Amino acid sequence: MSTYILGISCYYHDSSAALLKDGTIVAAAEEERFTRKKHDTSFPINAVSFCLESQGITIKDVDYIGFYEKPFLKLERVLSQHLEMFPYSLKTFLGSTPSWINEKLRVPRIIRKKLCYNKDILFIEHHLAHAASAYLLSPFKKSAILTVDGVGEWTTTAYGIGKGNDIHLIKEIMFPTSLGLIYSTITAYLGFSVNNSEYKVMGLSPYGNMNRKTNIYYQKLKKVVDVKEDGSYRFDMSYFIYHYADRMPSKKLCRLLGGPVRKPGEELTQRHKDIAAALQMVLEDVMTKILNHVHKVTKQDNIVLAGGVALNSVYNGKILRNTKFKKIWIQPDAGDGGTSMGVASYIYHTLLGKKREFVLKDAYLGPSYSTKHIKSFLDKNEIKYSEFKTREELLKTTAKLIYENNVIGWFQGGMEIGPRALGARSILSNACNPEMKEILNLKVKHREKFRPFAPVVCEDDALKYFDCDNPIPEATDFMLMVYPIKKQWRTKIPSVTHVDGSGRLQTIRRGQNPLYYDLIKEFGRLSGIPIIINTSFNIRGEPIVCTPYDTYKCMMGTGIDYLVMDNFLIKRDHNSRDIWDSEKYATD
Amino acid sequence: MSLKQFFSGFKKGMKNFGQNIALIVNSALLSIVYFIGVGFTSIISKIVRKHFLDTKLSKKATYWHDLNLKKKPIEEYYRQF
Ligand SMILES: [Fe+2]
Repeated sequence: MSTYILGISCYYHDSSAALLKDGTIVAAAEEERFTRKKHDTSFPINAVSFCLESQGITIKDVDYIGFYEKPFLKLERVLSQHLEMFPYSLKTFLGSTPSWINEKLRVPRIIRKKLCYNKDILFIEHHLAHAASAYLLSPFKKSAILTVDGVGEWTTTAYGIGKGNDIHLIKEIMFPTSLGLIYSTITAYLGFSVNNSEYKVMGLSPYGNMNRKTNIYYQKLKKVVDVKEDGSYRFDMSYFIYHYADRMPSKKLCRLLGGPVRKPGEELTQRHKDIAAALQMVLEDVMTKILNHVHKVTKQDNIVLAGGVALNSVYNGKILRNTKFKKIWIQPDAGDGGTSMGVASYIYHTLLGKKREFVLKDAYLGPSYSTKHIKSFLDKNEIKYSEFKTREELLKTTAKLIYENNVIGWFQGGMEIGPRALGARSILSNACNPEMKEILNLKVKHREKFRPFAPVVCEDDALKYFDCDNPIPEATDFMLMVYPIKKQWRTKIPSVTHVDGSGRLQTIRRGQNPLYYDLIKEFGRLSGIPIIINTSFNIRGEPIVCTPYDTYKCMMGTGIDYLVMDNFLIKRDHNSRDIWDSEKYATD
Repeated sequence: MSLKQFFSGFKKGMKNFGQNIALIVNSALLSIVYFIGVGFTSIISKIVRKHFLDTKLSKKATYWHDLNLKKKPIEEYYRQF
């Protein structure tokens, strides 16, 4: 009989569920994809249902449920904040206490009630769940581990070592000092949304002054962070108020950075760009010191990373060059969403001591839909479509449409786990067209002008166009590594070349997604350059699409020209927009 | 306006009213808890110089704390702390 373990993460941000069957993660998804509420924090009832249905099992077949943190330890930290900061913390006390009473302190009862579950529930420390998601799903049998996020129970940064089935987290940095929270604070200062738009600040940083000697904000931010030689760090908390208030930048920090918080939509000045650059440089300085220390202590060649800060792909691409580590692995959902996979793996491998054989090689763990289901959806809704007769016809037609500068919606197979679209729920277009960034922004994405689009390239072609680490780390397959584009190709693929000549590429290996891989090769035969723009299939402010319904609605509300859904080709102009107009619901 | 519309509007209004009242009552009760429970403990702690968050910058060589988190007996994981 199989062993099933369900991992759950919820009530902070990015709720998710993951199902492990005999050591293999067989299903995982974030709740936001079902509820269509970005970064949904609610109990992941839909994600759990999907996980169980995907395996044709019921909750009775589940042997253990793992939860991604220890709620009472977290409460201890929250109460400590209130006690330390009395009376300034009144507003956050009033704001957060009801959710503690109604949800966070009733997790076992909620799980049992909502899922009709009566077996064991295990609670794993938050950074251990991150560490497990990084190490136990990796190809390494021995590795150093670093977890860096906003905050778990008390821990904000932890390092340790993984050996065989076991994980030992050795040291930690504790709240309120947190690299994740300083990044979020400056994100808020720059007028972007916290726990959502940190990656925009990362994308903005190359527009600023990246010279440590001449960027005055770098010098100023360095005053805020005291970093020791071993990478341990602490903040001068007089610059921060996040430990007792919800408005993150303090007046003192605003004074230090020379102005008030930027209002959303307000023009981004050179000062804002220099601040983003300064923040990225401070983060990189601290991370490099930490990693060098971790290497010295653990004496390992391999490093695995997890936590929200591990999504900083700009820094990730520099790790093997800046430190003594030789190999790196990061899982596709390195933020809190991925901890559901972490707890399930920790219970199975570490607590139950079962052999490790599974490696997370791709991110397509979400819902998939059969050809029959999709055809029935199209017919029922009287959507005009054509059906490809062969796989070759699908590849040739789609590659030609991309080459002719059409914007293509691409819906194939299981949805990705994690924040990036990786060729299952993607929008694809011609990376060689210098106008494509504007076309995509005009037709679909409406993104900030400074943000580049990401390229996807077959793994065996990547070293020709990108200055990647060699061999290319698997984390690049999850769009988690930014590398320089080789100089001679920058003008040939302008839409995916960032201002500093870098690209946040996705590499694809044929075994992960043969259809997607072959499409890129086919496009390369037409264009001479086998690189396509891959951006997430969603409208502004919405999660990535999940179902055929979400997908079709998204296409009809935007300027996507064609949708290739499974074996079907749908042209937007052949169908009427009326009730399907999703664009009017777009938010930031 | 039909009778049905009137009643559905009335129901919605009453629901909002109920929610607002609950919010006010909850906030009042929580404020009492905050000022008496948290406030009293906090003042005593300040008098005896007890700190709940470690925020002082120091000249020590490291800010790393011992964590030593590793596999424990499975029973330990049934606990929420
Ligand atoms: Fe986290």
